[in-house]
Amino acid sequence: MNNVFAIAGVVIKELYRRKDFYVLFVMTALLSLLLGSVRFFNDDEIVRYLKEICLLLIWISTLVIAITTAARQIPAERESRTIFPLLAKPVGRWELIAGKFTGCWLACGIALVVFYFFFGLLTASREHAWPGTTYYQAMWLHWICLGMVLALALLGSVVFTAQSSNATICFIVVVGILFVGGHLHGVALAMGGVGGDIVSAVYYGIPHLEWYDVRDLVIHNWGRIDWLILGGATLYGMLYSGFLLGLTWLVFRRKALTL
Amino acid sequence: MIKLVLTVLFAGCFTLATVMDGQVRELRARTQGSISILATLLGDSRRMFANHFYAKADAYFHSGFYPGIFDTAQAEGKSHMEEEREASERHEADHDEEGEGFLGKPKDWIDRFGRHFYPTTHTHLENANQREILPWLRLSANLDPQLIQTYLNGSFYLRTGLNKPREAEEFLREGLRANPDSYELLLELGYVYDYNKNDPQAARRLWELALQKWKKQDAAGLNPPVKACVEILDGLVRADRQQNDLKQLLSDLEALKMVSPNPESIEKTIQEARDQLAAPRKD
Repeated sequence: MNNVFAIAGVVIKELYRRKDFYVLFVMTALLSLLLGSVRFFNDDEIVRYLKEICLLLIWISTLVIAITTAARQIPAERESRTIFPLLAKPVGRWELIAGKFTGCWLACGIALVVFYFFFGLLTASREHAWPGTTYYQAMWLHWICLGMVLALALLGSVVFTAQSSNATICFIVVVGILFVGGHLHGVALAMGGVGGDIVSAVYYGIPHLEWYDVRDLVIHNWGRIDWLILGGATLYGMLYSGFLLGLTWLVFRRKALTL
Repeated sequence: MIKLVLTVLFAGCFTLATVMDGQVRELRARTQGSISILATLLGDSRRMFANHFYAKADAYFHSGFYPGIFDTAQAEGKSHMEEEREASERHEADHDEEGEGFLGKPKDWIDRFGRHFYPTTHTHLENANQREILPWLRLSANLDPQLIQTYLNGSFYLRTGLNKPREAEEFLREGLRANPDSYELLLELGYVYDYNKNDPQAARRLWELALQKWKKQDAAGLNPPVKACVEILDGLVRADRQQNDLKQLLSDLEALKMVSPNPESIEKTIQEARDQLAAPRKD
């Protein structure tokens, strides 16, 4: 496990050395503050539109951070040839995958804490309330979701040759699932026949990332989610991440590392 | 040589800027009044975005409990904001709560479990919380000034739940500048004067104008809804009563009887008004 955490530590250091996070955070903060300064019909207490826009920007920013960070890990090690001394340490290939994943996941967690803290401050300035449990649950689910996204991007990085194509495909898949993932069964039932069965199979097979997007509950102050439900979603997310990481290891185990 | 070329280029840019500046200002002044920056950027697609933001306001009105593109469409194509406004104008109870509503029964365990992560209860924003729909209505009106429902709903919630008649009037007047022939906007503006500003005389003038616009559209064969005419005449009758103008009241009641779905009850009111007019004045 030491090897895993050593690799994870390097990934975390990489996040705060690179400018991606800072740029995205400053952009999110600036846009949110700018929109927060707009007054509608001389009313200073309108807040939900601001929460919606800020959360949307946080989701976009963290998805960009997660996918780009995870997608470049293994290709960058191969291009710079640092993967050879790393694997000769001896570090097993599974340890490399696990270390990269843990590092990316923790780095995303740190970024999420900063983003949600800013979101909380921004909201509190208008709403004069701090629903800590709701924000914590939203952040936790977001983090679990990013875990699955990271595992997907890591799998893509050992399957696709180019880093850019992996990132693009991951974005399309993730955004697609977030938008239509939950409705596929309805579509399948409407289609019927073999096509419907195929869509149904896809529906049950895909990672249900849409569960983890609880923005509507946060924006409209619906209160906290049942902890058991949260636990179930966490278990599902971890199992799915584990499955994707296992798949990544299976592909990576047999992969020739020469360029 | 290169320095000379750079100097000539800079001098050229400077001269052109002084020449063009006046023309650009003139062009901007000519177009600024009618076309906003958003309209210039988005073209006609802005209407699509305007509809989206209008629906967003309705979704906010339900605190996020709202059908998406995969869910069943609204029955009459009307937003619930609109239904509530119309129900309130008819002094009726609000439309029924729908329980599971458009969601129906869960299709499978994924659907059932997933329902814990988004709003699944039909509620409406009340009183001061209704302010949350305003940014989307403002944006919708900016994108499509011809979408009259935006102004009507914005004004209704501003003057009722939020008690902001001044802002409601400003919003409606902005709508009237973009839609000068709209009897709906004049009717709503009349409500602002009557209910909020307690000025039945001004309200009456607005409703008279609204009736003229409605008749003009009817004569032009545009088939404006009769319901709107009933509402305008209803407003006029109300103003007549407030001003105690019995002759005008009789005339407006006669007109209302012609279009009302319930002429018997109007006839009864006419009789009462006639009796009142015939009775000797006590003072």
